[in-house]
Formats: sequence, structure tokens, C-alpha cells
Amino acid sequence: MKSVLIARRLIREITRDRRTLAFFFLAPLIVMSLVYFALLEPSSARVALVTEGTMDLFRYDLERTLEDEPDIELVSPDWELPEGYEAQKASLLKWTRSGEVDAILYLNTQLLIDRFDGKPGTVNLFLEGSRPTRTGAALDAVSSAMDDLGSAMPVVIEASCSSLCANSVNNEAMDLEKIYAYGDEDLDIIDFFLPVFPPFFVFFFTFILSAISFQRERVTGTLERLMMSPIHFADIVIGYVMGFFIFASVQASIILGFVLYLIDIPFTAEQVFVLVIITFCLLLVGLTLGLLASYLAKNEFQAIQFIPVVILPQIFLADMIWSIEDFPKVFQVFSVILPLTHANQAMRDVLLKGADLWSIADSVGILLLMWVVLVAVMSLVAKRNA
Amino acid sequence: MLNMQQATVKFADSVALNGLTLSVEEGKVFGLLGPNGAGKTTLIRSLMGLQHLSEGSIRLFGDMLPGSASSRTLIGYMPQLYAIYDQLTVRENVRFFAELYSVPSALINDRVDELLHMTELDNKADAILHTLSGGMKRRAMMATALVHKPRLLILDEPTAGVDPILRIKFWQWFRKLCDQGTSILVTTHHINEAEQCDDIVFLRAGTMIGHGTPQQLMDEQQVDNLDQVFIRLAEQTEVQA
Repeated sequence: MKSVLIARRLIREITRDRRTLAFFFLAPLIVMSLVYFALLEPSSARVALVTEGTMDLFRYDLERTLEDEPDIELVSPDWELPEGYEAQKASLLKWTRSGEVDAILYLNTQLLIDRFDGKPGTVNLFLEGSRPTRTGAALDAVSSAMDDLGSAMPVVIEASCSSLCANSVNNEAMDLEKIYAYGDEDLDIIDFFLPVFPPFFVFFFTFILSAISFQRERVTGTLERLMMSPIHFADIVIGYVMGFFIFASVQASIILGFVLYLIDIPFTAEQVFVLVIITFCLLLVGLTLGLLASYLAKNEFQAIQFIPVVILPQIFLADMIWSIEDFPKVFQVFSVILPLTHANQAMRDVLLKGADLWSIADSVGILLLMWVVLVAVMSLVAKRNA
Repeated sequence: MLNMQQATVKFADSVALNGLTLSVEEGKVFGLLGPNGAGKTTLIRSLMGLQHLSEGSIRLFGDMLPGSASSRTLIGYMPQLYAIYDQLTVRENVRFFAELYSVPSALINDRVDELLHMTELDNKADAILHTLSGGMKRRAMMATALVHKPRLLILDEPTAGVDPILRIKFWQWFRKLCDQGTSILVTTHHINEAEQCDDIVFLRAGTMIGHGTPQQLMDEQQVDNLDQVFIRLAEQTEVQA
């Protein structure tokens, strides 16, 4: 049978290409591991409980209630509260913005005073707000905690004061004041994910474009001709980046424009300018990484293999859909070298938290540093190969 | 123009060039002959600095190292593959290489026209390359290799897959260029067409098995064509081995 002949030839070819073989067998294992960690246990919202003055009496019961909530993790940061209600609220808002916690449940003595006065009293809930799933989990947990608090209040007061005291406490439901550090109640899940669409698609398409076209230059022999002309290899790389940059920029502008049209968050012209800067920095990295992958590949097949190798880990580990905190520490460390990690972080900071260029300068700086390193690596590899 | 001392290139499981010592004079058509796998392309790549020597040394144009910036501007290269941009026109391709080699912009247009005329591609100057025949592509490649007026033109199997009429034309161009002062190093496995070279070297399995003018070699081996010279030399090498 002639088909056996074809099959035998194919098997021989593939077994001789060790890189292809490794990719074929190892890639599914790596992807499955990533899916496993991504779906294993979604990260819970970190909620801190802050009580002040006489409200410390209720702390123990509230902690037990919150600890029983499945979707949150009760954390106890080492914070020093300043004096005064307003100063305390300002500090709590600042801590929420820091991202250390997703929510802070704050109970001030004023709540008890109001309850004794027959008023419902207000519980303050500070919400980070940029991650809708965590905001939702914190809100649910706090609602049940408040119900428990309403019924526990007379019991605790009776135990520490008297039944007369307990009877004079208002039994109505307490008011919940939600204070958002970023965004508001209208922030949808899709608004959380939309900011990472432009980085992903821009990176994906530019990487593929450069990986394939540079490979063509290599296979046709024109790269060799360039290499023996009076041109530096870095000039070839930069020339490629410049050439593609025009097309990639148009593509990036279309993607960015589309996302800004869809997203239900107000934004300013300055924010758009910052988004363009982030996207262009990512473009440089994507293009150069594509060129490097293409240069390292011995043939078109190997060049194509780089696409999942470079793209897939970033889908899982760049804080795109799943939080990197859900993955083991080793992946969290690895995520630092992924360009999309920094681009996604910066895009969300700008769109969801209103960050300016200065605030995301570190992410932009890292992307530019990655680009410089990639150009240097490419030049070194080319010199070594020459 | 070219001085090679004990040039050796070893790969993991083979020796592509085996201690080649050779000196080539300027202003000649120098033929590098041998069957496929003889080491011709490796030798060319070594001359251009694209292949490091495992042992030995090569000097070009006096004391220039292969691959050095100064030597690269003096060499024109036409590889065996159609290493030319398929989506550009013939003129755009030639112009691209002219700019790559820093031909003064005031001279580029004249130089491009001159080469298109020489390679008889005037009427195809604005045709996209992928629409042209193999022979036309080869001529376009020749034009791109000559655009910066190189001192040494290296041609790797320039007549492979070319029809006999064009093959004759190619050799006429080589001779004309040589008369105008360009040294030419040409590889071919069509051994008989190398009779038009001034000087030739026979390579076999990375080793030089014969060197001289075509007439000298034919006289030495008492045969009347270079094919037979090669067969005789190959037999003698086998006996010695």
C-alpha cells in the first residue's frame, strides 16, 4: 500500500525533528495544567473587617460570619487607623485603592449611637471596584454578615450592658453605604474584560505577521543576501519593525477604537493617548518577538509552533481572564516576563482606575525594556549563527 | 584578490572543506567546479563571512577579513535560490539593492537603467517579479548583484535551470564584466561550460583535486573536455586514497 509508504516517511520526518516532537507531546500537558489551575478554584475576594470603638464588641461574631462565607477570604491587614470618622474613611479609601484588599467592611461607633437613637445606622463598605466578580462576592458576603449583625446586636448588648439597653436598640435593617475606589455599581464583567482585548489581539496578530514574513525572507535566501550587504543585523530588525509598525498601528487603532466604542466607562482624550502609547509599546515587543521566533525556527513548521508557545501561556497567565493569583507561585513569577501581563495591567489601570501616563510608566518602561532586550538577543543570535 | 590558507570547515558529522589553500588573481573569471556536495557553496559562504572556518584563514583584497564591513561593499553575490523580492517589480528590486549598497542617489536611476538594459529586462522593468519566468528572475538577480559595481562578483550556480541560449548569454556577460575589471568567481556543476573560465579549481568532497587553466588541465590529463578531466582527477584521487 502506497499510503503506508507516505505514513512511514512522515513518521521518520517528525521523529527526526525533536522540537516538533517535544511540542506535540508537551504542549497539551502544559495547556491542560494551565486550564486545571485556572479552573481549580477561582480566587476569592479579600475582605478586611475594621471596627472602631464600641463596635469592637461585635467583631468576634462578624468575623465568624464572614469566615463562613465561601467566596471571600477574611484578611487582617496591619493598619493603624487615625483619629476621627472622616480621617478614618479617607485612610480606608486609600487602602482600598492600594489593591491590598477587595473590600473593607467598616463599623464605626456612630453606628451604635444611631441604633440607640432609633435610626437604622450606616455600615460603610469600601470596594476596590475594578474586578466585578470580587466586588459581587464581597457584597454578597457583607449582606449576610449585616443580617447576622442585626440579630446579634441586642444579644451582645444585653450580655455586656443590660436587657433594658438591648431593648432600646433599633431592630430595623442597617443602611449600607458602598464607597467605590474605582468604577461604580454599573461596572459589568464585560467592562472588566474589554480593556485587555486590544493588547491581546494586537500582540497576537503582529506576532504572527512578523514570525511568518521573516521566515519567508529566510527561506527564499534574501536574508542571506541582506546579511552579506553592508547592513547591521539590528538595522534589519528595526527596519522590519518600522515596516510592520505602520500596518500594525492601523490595526491597533481599529481594535482600540472598537473597544472604546463598546466599553461602558467614560474616558478622556488623555486616557486614549495613554492607551495608544501602551498599545504601541506592546506592538514593538510583539513584532520583535515574532522576528526572534522566526529566526530561531529552522522551517515554517517550527515558526508556526511558536505561535501557541508564545500566545497560550499569556492567555492564562497574563491576568487576562483568570487572575494570576489563582495559579501556583512559579507561574506568578513567570508571568512577570510576559508582555501582556504589563500591557493588561496598564490598560485596566487607565480605563478602570483612570490612571495617567505617569502612573503606568512602570508598565510602559518594562515593555520598552523587553523590546530592547529582544533586539539585543536577536542581534546576538544572528552574530552567533553567522 | 583572494588568499586562502588551509581553509577547513567541519560540521558535526562531515568535513565540507578540507584544508584548502588557494590564491586567486584579480580580473579573472575563476571557476569553482565539482559535483553537488563538493563544498562549493560552503566555500562561497566562507568567503562572504556567512560560514566560520574551523581552521585556516581567508583574506580578501589584500588583508580584509571575510564578512568585514569593507569587504562586503566590494562583493556582489548571486545565490543559487531565487533570492529576490517576488512582490516588487524588477526595477524596485534593483533599486532596493542599489540603496542597500549606498549607491549615490544621483546615480541610481542611470545605474538601474544600465543594468536593466544589459540584462535585457528593459521591457519588463515594471513587471512584478512573480509574473516573470525563471530565466528572467535570474537576470533580475544578476542586475541586483551588480548594482553597486562590485570588485568581486560571486555567482553560485548562476546557470542552474537556465535554457541553453540564456546560459550562453550569461557567460558572455561574465566575460564582458571581467573585461571591464570585475573579478568573477563562479560555481557550476555544468563542468563543460567552465571552459570559458580563465582559471578553475576542481573540488571533490571538500578537497581540491585540480587547479589550473582549462587548457592546462586538459593537456595534463590528455583529454579534450573538462568533464573528462574531472573524471580522471576523481579516479586518481580514489587510487591515492
